[in-house]
Amino acid sequence: MPRNLFRCWIRVRGVTLPLFSLAFNLSKNLPTKMTGTDQSSFLGRISIRRNQVNAMEGYHEQEIEDLELFQKQLSDRFAELLSAPDDAPTEAFLSISWIRKLVDVFLCCETECKAILLMERDAAQISKPPLDRLIPELLERVVKAMDICNAVTNGLELVRHCQKLAEIAVSALEQKPFGEGQARRAKKALVSLMSAMHVDDKESSVQKTAERSWSFGRRSGNKDRHHGHYRSLSWQVAKHWSASKQIHAMTMNLAAPRGPEASCLPAPVYILSLIIVFVMWVLIAAIPCQERSGLTTHLPINKHVNWTHSLASIHDKIGEEWKKKEKKGMAGLLYEMQKMEKLGQSLIEFTDSYQFPGEKEKLDEVAAQVAELAEVCRRMDEGLVPLQMLIREAFHRLVRNRTEFLDVLEQGGPVV
Amino acid sequence: MDECQSAIPAHDGDLHVVAAAHHIVKALGTTKNLSDDLRKILIDLDAHLSLITSNIDSKGGKGFVEVEERLKRVERKIVIWESDRIMIWDSGPKEVSDYLEAVDEVQTLIDSLRGLSMNENQKQKELLHRASSLLQMAMSRLEEELIHMLVKHKQQSEPTYMPSPSSQRNVVYNESVVSLDNESAKEASSKSSRSDECGEYIVDLVPEHVIPDIKSIAKVMFASDYGQEFCEAFIGVRKEALEQHFDILENGKLSIEDVLKMEWCSLSTEMNKWTWSMKIIFRVYLMSEKRLCDQVLGEFGSVNSFCFLEIAKTTILCLLNFGEAIAMGPQEPEKLLRLLDMYETLADLVLDIDALFSEDGGSFVRLEFHKLLEGLADSVKAAFNTFRVAVSSNGSLYPFPGGGVHPLSKYVMNYISMFPDYSSTLNLLLEDQHSDVASLVSEPQCGPTASLSTSCPMACHLRSITSSLESNLHKKSKLYKDEALQHIFLMNNLHYMVQKVKGSELRPFFGDEWIRKHNAKFQQHEMNYERVTWSSVVLLLKDDNPGSSSLSKSAFKEKCKGFSIAFEEVYKNQTSWCIPDPQLREDLRISTSLKVVHAYRTFLGRNPAHVDDKCIKHTVEDVEKLLLDLFEGSPRSLRNSRRMMKT
Repeated sequence: MPRNLFRCWIRVRGVTLPLFSLAFNLSKNLPTKMTGTDQSSFLGRISIRRNQVNAMEGYHEQEIEDLELFQKQLSDRFAELLSAPDDAPTEAFLSISWIRKLVDVFLCCETECKAILLMERDAAQISKPPLDRLIPELLERVVKAMDICNAVTNGLELVRHCQKLAEIAVSALEQKPFGEGQARRAKKALVSLMSAMHVDDKESSVQKTAERSWSFGRRSGNKDRHHGHYRSLSWQVAKHWSASKQIHAMTMNLAAPRGPEASCLPAPVYILSLIIVFVMWVLIAAIPCQERSGLTTHLPINKHVNWTHSLASIHDKIGEEWKKKEKKGMAGLLYEMQKMEKLGQSLIEFTDSYQFPGEKEKLDEVAAQVAELAEVCRRMDEGLVPLQMLIREAFHRLVRNRTEFLDVLEQGGPVV
Repeated sequence: MDECQSAIPAHDGDLHVVAAAHHIVKALGTTKNLSDDLRKILIDLDAHLSLITSNIDSKGGKGFVEVEERLKRVERKIVIWESDRIMIWDSGPKEVSDYLEAVDEVQTLIDSLRGLSMNENQKQKELLHRASSLLQMAMSRLEEELIHMLVKHKQQSEPTYMPSPSSQRNVVYNESVVSLDNESAKEASSKSSRSDECGEYIVDLVPEHVIPDIKSIAKVMFASDYGQEFCEAFIGVRKEALEQHFDILENGKLSIEDVLKMEWCSLSTEMNKWTWSMKIIFRVYLMSEKRLCDQVLGEFGSVNSFCFLEIAKTTILCLLNFGEAIAMGPQEPEKLLRLLDMYETLADLVLDIDALFSEDGGSFVRLEFHKLLEGLADSVKAAFNTFRVAVSSNGSLYPFPGGGVHPLSKYVMNYISMFPDYSSTLNLLLEDQHSDVASLVSEPQCGPTASLSTSCPMACHLRSITSSLESNLHKKSKLYKDEALQHIFLMNNLHYMVQKVKGSELRPFFGDEWIRKHNAKFQQHEMNYERVTWSSVVLLLKDDNPGSSSLSKSAFKEKCKGFSIAFEEVYKNQTSWCIPDPQLREDLRISTSLKVVHAYRTFLGRNPAHVDDKCIKHTVEDVEKLLLDLFEGSPRSLRNSRRMMKT
């Protein structure tokens, strides 16, 4: 139906262009170089191809080529993410800037995947089996991912709260001369910080966050506050909502396409699904989130394809890390938070035993730690709000993505 | 500070000036009516002067005696509270002002000690250390006092003059394209939000008299560089309070997945709650919170808007996400009114939101809500379109029994009769689709009778919907095998539409022209019914030879019999038919009666010789009576009714 095809073209075009320019903007604003020109040339390539070949002979070969190019780019991007140093002042593995890169990769990949799937495609093509099953499944994952984005946004609020407490500690510890008063002030902030960090993400202890760390104090017996029955809203996505269960549900039916399917439309659907699940999984592991027990879900990564190598390695690396830390109950694997936790504990020990005026050697050692903590705060101050915005952007992208797919499916015929 | 330092190596000759100044300061200190600021400056000056003189007196070391004395004095005042479990602000104004003065004094001492050069004097270092420890103790205490105060005076209950969400009519328009009786339509027509429009209710989130206390703590904590601690404590309590208020509004926390999977009935309730909560949260709580922040933090610059945003953020995100979830959901026709409520509420609030979050940090809040408003506008349009499509595509397999008013007509007319409440919004949102629809609507409304109300986008859309309804009804009428019943069905439904338009606020949007046309339409069907049903029956009574005076007995008998059979057939059929409107039923009976009874009476009157019981099955009176049984919707057979009449 040529008319239908034409309509689809216009529509997809109308939607793709703004996305396209957005990818450009992101690449300008973010400390990453992977999003820029290669993506625009990729999208251009698809568009030109589809224009020229226009569903005639040789089309399938072109598609396979597009798909290979796409996978190559993915492979490069994840390789770059994997190559991030474990411990470095900037751009460390699982640091805020690393996560921003990851979300950025997700946004690019989403645009490109959608281009492969939808651009200039007859709606009927994507409502045929097995896509009539795969795409609705993809959309279910998309909805779950939206909730995860919101949960993570809430979690970032907790991280920001930690940042504020750490800043108080830093400003106390930087005072010269450093007296016992400042030591107590720093300790108070650090203890609050630790208790905020070690909030168990299980529902039963959610109230602890509600109470927030300011309630820490020796006079607590005296206070006629009633926190017990109150459950913080700021933390919850919904009652009984569980981040790890969402991830688990998202991996259901997620299987790499085999045989001939591996080189046609089911492939990008799988890639997009896998990347959504993977990115959400990493976000949950890194950032405090409602109910994460059993997060070490097995992600069905097809290791027989080249592009998944780095992704699988990142998955393994984070999985290992998670297993090590899970039992302790913790705020997440975010590099800055880990750093903050370590420094915080050490500084609490210091403030505990501190007596004015203190030994010079110890003070110098502490000064270095304080400087490090200040640096962590600074990076949080710089990075957290943009990260929140980026995750919001990802959320909106998922919303739009879903609408576009639904529109196309509607054109293609009845959707079950 | 620098000036003080440079003043230390003063000539002996300056001593008397210093003494005089000292004297003035002391003199001023005794007067009661000093402003806080002036008082602080003077105390400051006082401290510097005492240090200067003591330095000059004894060249270091022992010169700090007086400072130490003062420190000891305030130390006692501050430390004494440490062992006390009673809150200072609960103890009395004297205790409060003493404590605040003491803290002030510590701060002054610290400033003065810092102001002096630090390098050589061990005593000075020690005093400074003691003073800042003391300050920390006081600050920690003030933080506790602040939290205690904020928590204690947190207004727990809702302000009484605010209608609670449960007293609000929780109307659930949960009908899809199914029947809807007038009663529930009337109920549903009261817009959930209109009746209890809440203006700007700024309330005291914290009692008025507590504000100066909070402010005094803020002042002293900020002055001592403990502003961050103040903010964290303040944000913590206020944020929790706001969330509690939000909780009281019964907003169940829902994930997007929950919302997308929700049954319409619960979803409608949640949508109502959202509309309500948005108004209360923004108009009442956030407005009031903003005022509280301004009162407490107004003089501390950007800290004010930072704290407000932190307090509000999570609650706002909750509201935002529900809105997003609704905007992305499938837009079924039944959602239209609730969507309109949501849209109107947000459109109404958007300027307030802009004002509340006018600072840079709040730009994302503004942006998100503007985005949501756009999303809701699209949803309204989408729901409107699905409604239109549903109206024209609603199909039936079987004819609607009795030919009465079809549920679709009821649904559509009752539903659209609520639209006038939203006319300005609908006009705005439907504007861009206006031209397409205007050309579709066949009624020529652009003549001299056309007014603004009949040519606005909503009016055109309304008429396009009713014309879709009409064509759908025509389709449905074809399901009847009996042509007469087709006419009854169309007459009933068109009449219903006209009545609905005339008796509601829809009238100005449809205009008299439309009403006239549609009156004519249903009257046409009425006439067609009579023609189709009765013409052939009446024809049986017609005189074949208009010339001759009367019929032969057998011909008369034949005609009588034919008439009876035909009449009984009609009777049997049409008693089961239905004309729900009593007036319309009455009118049709009268005109039928006029036609049939008149013809029958004339026929009998022309053949008086043959009129006897044997060949006349029904008398004129019988026929007249029997006609009253038609269109009552209860099938009767004439055999029964005659037996009944005879007995």
